[in-house]
Amino acid sequence: MSITSDILRGHTEAIILSHLLERDSYGYQINKDIMKKTDNRYELKEATLYSAFRRLEQAGSIRTYWGDETTGARRRYYAITDTGRQAYLSYKQEWEEAKEMIDHLLQ
Amino acid sequence: MKERIVQYFNQLFEDAPKTRKALELKQELTQNALDKYEDMIQEGRCSEEDAYQNVIQSIGDVGELFEDLEEKNLLELPEKDRKKRAMLKSVAVGLYILAGVVFFGLEMIAWNIPGYPFDGIGLVAAGLICIVPTIMLVYAANMYPGYSKKASTSMVEEYQQEKYRNGRNKEIMVAISGIIWTAALVLYFLISFNLGGWHITWVIFLIAACVQSVAVLINSLRRDKEKRLD
Repeated sequence: MSITSDILRGHTEAIILSHLLERDSYGYQINKDIMKKTDNRYELKEATLYSAFRRLEQAGSIRTYWGDETTGARRRYYAITDTGRQAYLSYKQEWEEAKEMIDHLLQ
Repeated sequence: MKERIVQYFNQLFEDAPKTRKALELKQELTQNALDKYEDMIQEGRCSEEDAYQNVIQSIGDVGELFEDLEEKNLLELPEKDRKKRAMLKSVAVGLYILAGVVFFGLEMIAWNIPGYPFDGIGLVAAGLICIVPTIMLVYAANMYPGYSKKASTSMVEEYQQEKYRNGRNKEIMVAISGIIWTAALVLYFLISFNLGGWHITWVIFLIAACVQSVAVLINSLRRDKEKRLD
């Protein structure tokens, strides 16, 4: 399990980007989606999530804005940029290659 | 129990730098934690205490997040702008001094030449020179970056924003007053020397006072409107 979560943590940024491809989202929503998709097996720590947000923002891959919920708490939303889409695509390609190689190597 | 979560974050952020970014991050993380807590309670998966522990557990190590929050103090200008501003101000002061020198120099020349036709030329020249540094000061006062309305979220920030706006507003008003009174003085001597109406030209100062009041009024009306728009 610890290997799994280490590997997953290494791909936090790509995971976030792929979530934002579908729609703009905020911190907790993204984490909830991750939990759902992994059958509650994996959840990001808040600190991990937010340092990834910060790196992505610095790289220009995402931008943020404050949502205007009329009721309840105001949330900061995250959206993917064109740079982010490019980054996601190249990330994904690299992952496919690595996956293929590891599969071969571990056979 | 929710209060306890908020408390926990307050404590966690006690050592964080007191910046806008830090405040926003705290609000964001707190909101996430509250959402999660509420979800867990609603699903009925666990007790309040368990939910609380779970929420706190899933925060992780925030130390590295804090490092990035240091940089920007709310009211600070970027280094480049600060330098530019300092330069504008010093050049402006230099020009005011130059205006004084020109004034005395020309007046002395006028004094020493009998029948010199342009009485008061020193003052007019000095007044004209004063226009340049005044404009520079107004520009410098306007150099604060625009404060995004979207970024304001809490009482603290609204207060900061207000404070910031007041500071900026004050500088603008000082500059405007400077222009009005300099212009009044120049006009006073110009008209008096050339037309010789010394007995009546002092009215110009009353007019200047009037103009200033109008400027203050317009300014406060504009600010009220801005506030309402917020």
